[in-house]
Amino acid sequence: MAFDRVLNVARKEFSDHITSRRFIIVLALFLVISAVSIHEGIEVYNAQLDTYNEQLQQMTTEIEGPYPGWMPEKPSIMLVFLFMMSYMSALGSILALAIGFDLVSKEKESRSLKSLLSHPVYRDEIINGKVLGGVGALGFAMALALAVSLAMLLVFSVVPTLDEFAAILIFGAASLGFLLAYFAVAITMSTVAKESGSALIYTLVIFAVVSTLLPILGTMAADVFSGDPPEPPEMVAPMPTPAQSSGGGYITASDDPRETDPAWRDYEEARKAYTEKRRFISDVSSILSPQMNYMVVSMAVTNPGSSTMYTAYGALQVEPGGGLADALGQVWMNIAALIVFPAVFFGATYVKFMRMDIR
Amino acid sequence: MIRTENLTKVYNGKTAVDGLDLEVEEGEVFGFLGPNGAGKSTTILMLTGMIEPTGGRCLVDGIEVAKDPLKVKEIIGYLPEDVGFYGNMTGEQNLGYFARFYGTTAKERKERIAEMLELVHLDGVTQKAGEYSRGMKQRLGLAQAMINDPKVLFLDEPTANLDPEGAREYRDLVERLAGEGKTVFVSSHILSEVRAVCRTVGLLAKGKLVAQGTLDGVARTLAPSDGDAVRIVVETREHLPDLEDPAIIDIERNGTRAIVRAKADIRDRLAETLFSQGLHVREMRIEEPDIEDVFMAVYRR
Repeated sequence: MAFDRVLNVARKEFSDHITSRRFIIVLALFLVISAVSIHEGIEVYNAQLDTYNEQLQQMTTEIEGPYPGWMPEKPSIMLVFLFMMSYMSALGSILALAIGFDLVSKEKESRSLKSLLSHPVYRDEIINGKVLGGVGALGFAMALALAVSLAMLLVFSVVPTLDEFAAILIFGAASLGFLLAYFAVAITMSTVAKESGSALIYTLVIFAVVSTLLPILGTMAADVFSGDPPEPPEMVAPMPTPAQSSGGGYITASDDPRETDPAWRDYEEARKAYTEKRRFISDVSSILSPQMNYMVVSMAVTNPGSSTMYTAYGALQVEPGGGLADALGQVWMNIAALIVFPAVFFGATYVKFMRMDIR
Repeated sequence: MIRTENLTKVYNGKTAVDGLDLEVEEGEVFGFLGPNGAGKSTTILMLTGMIEPTGGRCLVDGIEVAKDPLKVKEIIGYLPEDVGFYGNMTGEQNLGYFARFYGTTAKERKERIAEMLELVHLDGVTQKAGEYSRGMKQRLGLAQAMINDPKVLFLDEPTANLDPEGAREYRDLVERLAGEGKTVFVSSHILSEVRAVCRTVGLLAKGKLVAQGTLDGVARTLAPSDGDAVRIVVETREHLPDLEDPAIIDIERNGTRAIVRAKADIRDRLAETLFSQGLHVREMRIEEPDIEDVFMAVYRR
């Protein structure tokens, strides 16, 4: 395979994408909504920063606080990208589907594929070039979105540290992986279907199944197979829950009397087993959903220090106090799924395209 | 220049091309005739390296197509039936995209594209290919087939969408290419179209080659057999008298006109006899089988 031929196809595809009205409209919408979400994120970040500063000031003036040993946590600017993620999963997937669903079927309909194949280029070079062009266009869209977000951060005088900048790049890579998942679905359907209309319908059906139906089914299956959660034992006095504070701080030390109560310890063990069972059932189906995987990975990137990352379908437990690498290590299955999902669909596209009847 | 050996293609258990043995010499303008569904397009797809044969092999300029399709594509041009282009690009951009696969420099590409567009009268056309008429697309198809200055040109139903003027220009183009020593392989089911440009033909029916050679030769081969007899048409101004010659088998008479079946060509002797009797000969010729009828009979088989 000569790379210059692949590049020739990729260059043409990339140019087609970024000059197409469909791409420009969705991209414009995508960027505008990204900017709005970033703005919203910056406002929340600034509010949390103010709270943090107040708490810090209190700590220096009041030595005896309500929770000795409690340290406020400085909010991360990655919080801003958490807001971006929610919009990305909706509009980004539309962008990816829009550029992929007729990539091959349109060539079949216009008969341009036959003309192209009469020139010295192999079929695998054509499909690889098409994928590369699409990846390039999505990468371009993602890069633009990140550039807009960084520009907005700077406009609002928020300067990311080197670690935060690395996290932003990882967030961008995860977002691109998410976009590629749906691009791969779309191009597979475009290769399988004879017409673009059918390709679009097949693509939307798969999109609905993996983005919505699978996570819901996973949650339902978890409810059915896990049974009822264990009931906590009767306590003499209710204790404050050692969870995240509104300012993002956490408790580093405690003398919780529940730790010595055997009934409570049994309950905690039963609850832990119940949660793990429930999570396992839910994960099995969620791992097939790019939406879920993207959400989990993005939360690990944007909020690595949190003890519990809540998603729309349940909670993901992440060990407290860990850094970005630890957080990513805990969601390695989701990262792998974000890579495997598009790879499987691209593989199917390749096989189908190589065997396609071009009469 | 083009050779097929027992070339076979089977689609889902149905044989589209059945043991085809064909040979086309360099510089020939070859007409590949046959009714729709005879296997002409499938044969061309195998010859141009776009599909692989189920059995046998085909060679273009000594290169086995299935083994090195890219090398073959570099020396051939192909105009598909109902050719298609990228509708969002101009004709020039379409040609530019295809031309880049030949590893030429930007300057060479630009010059070749301009030359081709001028040749097919699409120079100066700025509209996108998606807005082209079918005739314009067909002309752009010819230009894309010749973008690499090919040694061999495969044209599948080349005049299908052309108006009379376009068809005449196409014939002139084929003549010009033949003059340059290029091999042209024209596939069509229209005899008149092939007759206008081709020196040799091959007739395909149900995936099998029925006959190959010059058009008249193929027609004679396929004409209903009359043994070694020669049919001579004779017409005089006056009433035709009785004709006597030892070579005559029988005569079908009709007033001043007759068709004489003879064992040999006896036109000289007949003319002498009629002249000696003072008769005026209006017509005397050997009756050739009607090509259209012969081909139509094969098409209907």
